[in-house]
Amino acid sequence: MNRSRAARGFKLQLAMTPMIDVVFLLLVFFVCTVRFERNEQVYRLDLPSRGTTADPLALQDSPLQIVVGIRDGDRCSIELRADGVRQTAENFDTLAKAMEQMRRQSGVANGLFESSHPILVVPSAGSQWQDAVEGFNAAVRAGYANIGFAESKR
Amino acid sequence: MSLLHARGPARIDANMTPLIDLAFLLIVFFILVARMGGEQLPPVSLPEPRHAATTSAGSRPRLAVNVIANGDRTILSLGAKKFSDDDSGLRGLAEAIAQRIRRDPTLPVDIRADRSLRYDKVEPALRAIAQAASQAGAERVTIRVCALDERQANHE
Repeated sequence: MNRSRAARGFKLQLAMTPMIDVVFLLLVFFVCTVRFERNEQVYRLDLPSRGTTADPLALQDSPLQIVVGIRDGDRCSIELRADGVRQTAENFDTLAKAMEQMRRQSGVANGLFESSHPILVVPSAGSQWQDAVEGFNAAVRAGYANIGFAESKR
Repeated sequence: MSLLHARGPARIDANMTPLIDLAFLLIVFFILVARMGGEQLPPVSLPEPRHAATTSAGSRPRLAVNVIANGDRTILSLGAKKFSDDDSGLRGLAEAIAQRIRRDPTLPVDIRADRSLRYDKVEPALRAIAQAASQAGAERVTIRVCALDERQANHE
């Protein structure tokens, strides 16, 4: 005679091994796929169309220059240069504001330059890439669209 | 009579659990390997301008030129290929970029340079990209300067 399950004292057991397997597998998957790197952002630096100039990085009009000096601690010298314009800036925020005031736009009485006017970032010999990009960023913030980097003096 | 034979013929059952475990493990492995194989972005301390007026790099394919500080010298890399910062290295870099631009003229070229580098170490890479565009006969090549966005920079 077969003994009933109840008579045998049937125990309900949860199979933990495959569950732990799957949990570890998911853990490994998420640990490996999570990306801690920060999102990269970009500035466009378009080359002029071919045939307009011999040097593909050269700008066509007399550019407004942002001369970036060598960093000394938290500060670095910044100067705006153009025909008839020579102005220093305390930092890149004031540079952006000064450049915005120079831009010809509605509501600004004495704007000097169109937003398409060429802007040239001129980092001094020994200045850092970070500061060159800060200068570029100030010009973009001020609303200019035609910005380039000057050739370095090696 | 033994108990084994009393229960009738033996049944063979395939235990599927370890098989499925192993299959998932292999799938995860190949997913990871595939992602790492296509990786062309070595870690670079990108510039972090304040109030960055940048746009998102997006997810479309791009060609990344990396300029990495290495003591007094710099290493230029394009995918897995590395180039020295002397004239021959820059010529090789320009040629490699030109080949890629010929294949896809709409490919944006990103310059990822370490923020602590001197500008005169980064500028030759910009020139190499411009030279490559000229070599490839591209009408217009988009160079993009990579930086980190302010929102994330503020969290540090």
